[in-house]
Amino acid sequence: MTSLELRHVDKTYGGYHALRGISLAVEQGEFVVMVGPSGCGKSTLLKSIAGLETISSGQIFINGRDVTHAEPGDRGIAMVFQSYALYPHMTVAENMGFGLRMAKRPKAEIDAAVVRAADILRMTDQLHKRPKQLSGGQRQRVAIGRAITRSPDVFLFDEPLSNLDAALRTQMRVELSNLHAELGATMVYVTHDQVEAMTMASRIVVLNRGVIAQVGSPLELYRNPDNLFVAGFLGAPRMNFFAVTVTEAFGRIAKVSASGLEPLAVELDQGVVIQKGAALTLGIRPENVAIADQGASGATMSGRARLVEHLGRETILHVDAGPLQCVAAESGAGTITVQVGRPMGLATDAPISLRVDPRDVYLFSSGNERTITTRKPVLDR
Amino acid sequence: MSSFWRRHRSWLTPVLFILPGIVLFGTVIIAASLQTVWVSFHDWDGIGPKLWVGLGNYVELLDDPQFHVSLKNNLIWLAVFLLAPPLGLALALMLNQQIRGMRVLKSLFFIPLVLASVTVGVVFGWVYDPTFGILALIFQAFGAKAPALLSDEHLVTFAAAFAALWPQVAFCMVLFLAGLNNLSDDLIGAGRVDGARGWRMLRHVVLPQLTQVGFIAIAVTVIGALRSFDMVAVMTSGGPFGSSTVLAYQMFQQSIFSYRFGYGAAIATVLVVIMAIFIVWYLRGLIKAEERSA
Amino acid sequence: MYPRPIAPTAAAHRTIYVSLVALVLVLWLLPLVAVMLTSIRSFDEVMAGQYWNWPKKFSLIENYTAVFQQTAMFRFFLNSLIITLPSVAGVLVLATLNGFVLSRYRFKGATLVFALFVGGNFLPAQIMMIPVRDLMVKLGLYDTFYALILFHIAFQTGFATLFMRNFISALPDELFQSARSEGASPAQTLWHVVVPLLRPALAALAILTFTFVWNDYFWAIVLTQSDAVKPVTAGLNNLRGEWVSAWNLVAAATILAALPPVTMFFLMQKHFIAGLTIGAVKG
Repeated sequence: MTSLELRHVDKTYGGYHALRGISLAVEQGEFVVMVGPSGCGKSTLLKSIAGLETISSGQIFINGRDVTHAEPGDRGIAMVFQSYALYPHMTVAENMGFGLRMAKRPKAEIDAAVVRAADILRMTDQLHKRPKQLSGGQRQRVAIGRAITRSPDVFLFDEPLSNLDAALRTQMRVELSNLHAELGATMVYVTHDQVEAMTMASRIVVLNRGVIAQVGSPLELYRNPDNLFVAGFLGAPRMNFFAVTVTEAFGRIAKVSASGLEPLAVELDQGVVIQKGAALTLGIRPENVAIADQGASGATMSGRARLVEHLGRETILHVDAGPLQCVAAESGAGTITVQVGRPMGLATDAPISLRVDPRDVYLFSSGNERTITTRKPVLDR
Repeated sequence: MSSFWRRHRSWLTPVLFILPGIVLFGTVIIAASLQTVWVSFHDWDGIGPKLWVGLGNYVELLDDPQFHVSLKNNLIWLAVFLLAPPLGLALALMLNQQIRGMRVLKSLFFIPLVLASVTVGVVFGWVYDPTFGILALIFQAFGAKAPALLSDEHLVTFAAAFAALWPQVAFCMVLFLAGLNNLSDDLIGAGRVDGARGWRMLRHVVLPQLTQVGFIAIAVTVIGALRSFDMVAVMTSGGPFGSSTVLAYQMFQQSIFSYRFGYGAAIATVLVVIMAIFIVWYLRGLIKAEERSA
Repeated sequence: MYPRPIAPTAAAHRTIYVSLVALVLVLWLLPLVAVMLTSIRSFDEVMAGQYWNWPKKFSLIENYTAVFQQTAMFRFFLNSLIITLPSVAGVLVLATLNGFVLSRYRFKGATLVFALFVGGNFLPAQIMMIPVRDLMVKLGLYDTFYALILFHIAFQTGFATLFMRNFISALPDELFQSARSEGASPAQTLWHVVVPLLRPALAALAILTFTFVWNDYFWAIVLTQSDAVKPVTAGLNNLRGEWVSAWNLVAAATILAALPPVTMFFLMQKHFIAGLTIGAVKG
């Protein structure tokens, strides 16, 4: 039985079409992360699942029950809010037991549930404290504890780590993943941070302007994005995009080139038909751009390293490749972003040659921006 | 039954919550006000039957010299009361220092605000007493005899209005002190860096930030001036010879003392129509401010 | 900070400033000081026309006890309490309920209801006088405490609703969403989540309402007649008429009548000021 199912969920308010035809099935025990840029509708979708917002059309099922018109308290969900939303005048124990108290459960049952949750989250000696006496991470745990005590069918998380500082965020990420493993519960998690998405999800749902752009496992989405949006959204530094033209097309191979770019022969997906002279977008990830020996043959492009960023374990170069300009580039200046996995001693404006393996290249059709290159293997060897 | 409640309680509860308030307020305040307008179209002595006279009361009002006196006095009250916001602002500016002991001093300045208008009326009745009042003391110090303000037909309204001004200034002072507390330090700092000082700083940097508070101060002051009753009732009873009546008091006189409830209702209606302009203006400003911040 | 703060080190400036303020304060409170002075003056001096010199005989105790023994002030005081306290309680309850609904629920006409509450509060008392008096007579409540209590609860709810609504609006949305997602009904949310957070607002509103109701004069004279029911405001005015030449007694009575609101004000000053300015200033 699917834990959560959305069928053609649509939501309009004012004149604004926030969610369009969202359909999704989440299996029991999955950790699904909904990710996308701000305004894509992920929070609206989460609130709709929770019942805090009503949908214009479509259906929502939780554990097989139609909850489309049910009150939030009757849906079998528990929600962890971005600002934790702890009741400031109640102790940790009272906060965690609130839902059960509202359901008028016997005191023994409430106490047992609170203690159990506090145990899992290692908050047992904070039970008597008030929220203002707790640190950010502790407050976050109380918010999660509040959800645990209600034993919901689905846990909903609304950007829970956004209010924490970087170090704490990393720590909580690990804790949440462990929690998921321990509880085995179904979790739907919303974030704008793709690192959280990539590291925590069993499946990622990428949303763009109210529509699902793609659903799949993190590595699958990373290696085989369905469209330009997903390709550009996942991965940091962002994928480089260039405007290229098809110079030759034979069988499933298309030869593309652009001014400043040596022609590349790229394998297309089955069934894709492309014409000579067609305009396409080429994508290549920064980590797939290699540095070629100066002057050696086989260089795909060359230019000057305008900015060199030393990160210790890696170096990021922003290369100005002359006539070849990156479209909607990370650095905003049209430069190509190259990521090298080691420290480099390179001077600013040093001449540099770059090489690209055609097997790492993505091609996107103009218009619907779908990926037309063939599938890439997700894991090496 | 209980499942009906559970299913519908999300909208039933708020309805039940707001019902008593609406019913009470609606009957006692709103319905009563509308009823008074209805009464104003009748001749009624409070006991016998009501006689329909249409606009008769209003026509009578137009020629009633007492009505004109009341209108004139209301204008005088308005003029005097309009001193409250600037005076309140001046006091607030003077008092806005964080020196030790200022808190106590400030709170002492607020006292007139919490006094009942009766108290203020009684107190100022003595201030104005030509024999032993403070006014008398001042005049005697200069070797002159104090005027009996409350017995002088030309000065009585001013005397009453100035008495009521005392708590009104305190109210404006409280508002402006709060406003001054919420000034943006950054803007003041920027002003000082730009060389704005004294009057220029006040006019160009401070006052614009006080617009919202000032709006409320003026609105409440104007409405207060128009509906003033207590001071006139306590200090002058409308006298001498009806020279200090205001619309609110004349209404009261006509209804309670002359048993002309219909006529009194007409006066009240006229008063409300005049005030309605300012009430609507205030509500508009309030709602606009809400929408802007939403 | 505006005006420019006087530097903590400029002791001379500070002393001059504080002295100046104190002087203005004395002038400002002079009327009240004069009354206080009269209230401790002995009857003989008052009769002899000695109003402004330092009292030769301090009759503080005599005058103030005389007020209670010889006039009906004690009765009036009691009446004011009996009228004011239930009114305040009623207003707090209704304002919380109304404020909760108006701040959390959007429904057609919500703005109208809100505007009526606020606007109605600005109406002059005279526009309601006749029907309200009539209503109380018909209900048999004329010249009873209930008339004033009922009216004050009804009237003060207007401003009080605005006040509570603004306060509840300022509570974070997610608090309500969390309670709702945990299955709390609106009533449960109000009682368990909202009301505990309203304590400062309720305190401020309680004092403001207390002051407004205690100080009311108009409805006291319209809805009551007998001394048994009259509150201290109407009572004081009558007293002034009765005890015409015993200025010291009337002065003492005036001070006594003013004491409760002034005391409440000093005790809960922060709340009082906060209450008055909450609608006025953002933040």
